[in-house]
Amino acid sequence: MPCSCFIIPNDVLTKLSQDKKLSASVRKRMVDTVQISHELRELRNQAARFTSVAATRADGLVTLAAAPSVTVYDCKHTQTLPGTPIPKPKTSSDGSVKRSFNQTSKVAKFYEQVFNRNSIDDHGMTMMSSVHFGQSYNNAMWNGSQMLYGDGDGSIFVDFTRGNDVIGHELTHGVTQHSLQLAYSGDAGGLNESISDCFGSMFRQWEANQNVKKADWLIGRDIMGPGSKKKGFTCLRDMADPAAKHCLAPQPTKYSQITPGMDPHYSSGPPNLAFCTACVTLGGNSWGPIGQVWYRSLTGFGPTPNMTMKAFAARTRQVAHTMYPSTAAVSAAVNAGWTKVGL
Amino acid sequence: MDRLKIERVGGVAGFGGPHLKSRGELALSDLSPADQKTVESLFADPKKVPASHPGQADAFSYRITRGSQTIEVPEHAVPSTIKSSVKDVLE
Ligand SMILES: [Zn+2]
Repeated sequence: MPCSCFIIPNDVLTKLSQDKKLSASVRKRMVDTVQISHELRELRNQAARFTSVAATRADGLVTLAAAPSVTVYDCKHTQTLPGTPIPKPKTSSDGSVKRSFNQTSKVAKFYEQVFNRNSIDDHGMTMMSSVHFGQSYNNAMWNGSQMLYGDGDGSIFVDFTRGNDVIGHELTHGVTQHSLQLAYSGDAGGLNESISDCFGSMFRQWEANQNVKKADWLIGRDIMGPGSKKKGFTCLRDMADPAAKHCLAPQPTKYSQITPGMDPHYSSGPPNLAFCTACVTLGGNSWGPIGQVWYRSLTGFGPTPNMTMKAFAARTRQVAHTMYPSTAAVSAAVNAGWTKVGL
Repeated sequence: MDRLKIERVGGVAGFGGPHLKSRGELALSDLSPADQKTVESLFADPKKVPASHPGQADAFSYRITRGSQTIEVPEHAVPSTIKSSVKDVLE
């Protein structure tokens, strides 16, 4: 019996199946066809119901997706990207490969568990890193689609994969690219850098399960080489004291001290201090209410590439009030942070 | 006009600040003819370099000075001989 039976209406099929002039096997197939057609209709109804539920709860489905893939490549001291793929980075004997894999996986977990975010783009994007980039390369960066890490020169800096805050910082540049889309100069540039420091530091504190009082608020502490330490530099930046002598890259502490054309790694000082002050004023964990306010301000409003620091400060004040309407201490802490830096 | 003074700035560590410097110097004639041509075109129109990937962050830039003219260009537009001419130092 060919499948074309499906286009014959069920009542006709039922009638034919009772027609004694047809053979027993043909009549049985007609009964089966009626049954199959019934099941198929049920299946279609279920599919329609599923589609309708899925459409109204699409955000929830995103979070149900599997953890993002984490991949690592070895540039073997060249500047050619992405380099050679590492088949099993988790168990690699190369420390840089293993660290970048493990810490990147943990950043994915941090964003998922703390902010309900699925990877860099919130849609499960693969998190790709290349290690051993260049020769004695004193840098780590986000190139718009992946992270890359230099080995450091062994004097000023050691391997940049040694800083879990550095890894969190670089990945957060990806998150910013897929949310607020901040530019890389002026106020927006300083905010862009600050957001990477804030979430890099939050990740470091979350991983160590440190509250705001226990945290050291230093950025880059674990990548400082012997030459830097010998000169008394213990970090790149200090979010609690941006202008401190122990900072290799000391920053302004007031918004009014930012000058035109300033490198965003310096103009990020005031918003860094605002975040740290807000966290310390409220107490508890940085990834608690203050971290949530910063995350919502970063991801909840679509792109604003040229956002000013003043506008971002206003947004966090508004978000604090909206998210925690019955906890005045959150709003007060956010306000204390920005007030301290003159915003 | 043959000398090129190079300063590398930026990066996640903020090179070019008060303590962290990366500088180099070389003669234009030390470069290959192809690299010399690249440098000439950079000085002719430093804004004409290929755009960086949107969203890119923490990349290095190079300030190249020839005579009285200084240009600042992204790392991806700089010939490797110039890139390797700089030395990172603490001050
Ligand atoms: Zn950065």
